[in-house]
Amino acid sequence: MLDGIPIIRAAGVIVSNSAFRQSIISQNIANSDTPGYRAKDVAGSHPVELFESESSLRTTRSKHFHADSTSQRNSLIFEEQSNVSPNGNFVSLETEMVKMAENRQVHEMALSVYKSSLNLLRTSLGRG
Amino acid sequence: MANLLQSLSISASGLAAQAERLNIISQNIANADTPGYQRKQISFIQAFSEVGLDAVEVDQISLDTSDFKRIHSPSHPLANEQGYYEGSNVNLLVEVADSRQAQRSYEANLRSFDISRQMSQSLIDILKR
Repeated sequence: MLDGIPIIRAAGVIVSNSAFRQSIISQNIANSDTPGYRAKDVAGSHPVELFESESSLRTTRSKHFHADSTSQRNSLIFEEQSNVSPNGNFVSLETEMVKMAENRQVHEMALSVYKSSLNLLRTSLGRG
Repeated sequence: MANLLQSLSISASGLAAQAERLNIISQNIANADTPGYQRKQISFIQAFSEVGLDAVEVDQISLDTSDFKRIHSPSHPLANEQGYYEGSNVNLLVEVADSRQAQRSYEANLRSFDISRQMSQSLIDILKR
């Protein structure tokens, strides 16, 4: 029932996508010394792209909502060849730590949106 | 939630691999003056877990076959006619630099583990009012 409300559904999608991205980032960090390993990332994870894709939720009828907004498995992309170490490893620890911090903030923000929406519902029901 | 729990086990594999690396380094440093000691080298490889995520594991521990140091000490029990004996092939500078790198990677894995744990904790906190 809560999925019928676009903002709650959008917050849920962002939360699960950021959890998926966290697993990709922790793979990169664990393999930061493995020869020949290429760092991975999730496509469309830049914060600007996140908001652009979620703003398409505003439709006239809820039945027109597309299923791909709720898909979790975004495509994985590989890092560009900017910092290659001699053993062919592509991972830069600094980049990964920054990505992890950004991802954590996105996750927390989406959770806060989710919680405030639930509070709004409770208030409107008179059980605040 | 399953993603975050997988992140925990991936970071744990990174921690174990870096700890093994530090173990090898400290063996090398401890035996830096042992005659005839060949330093050990460790290499990592991706380990595919059942869900297709790349954890890391130790590939192999091999011996470095570079030349031994030749130390001039005529009074040493192992000295040959010219007064030289063979020490180890451990270079302390290399080992210390490697240990710094291992520590850095270890802390990054630890931070990743902590962040995953906190994110899953935040998810559970939704249930609290």
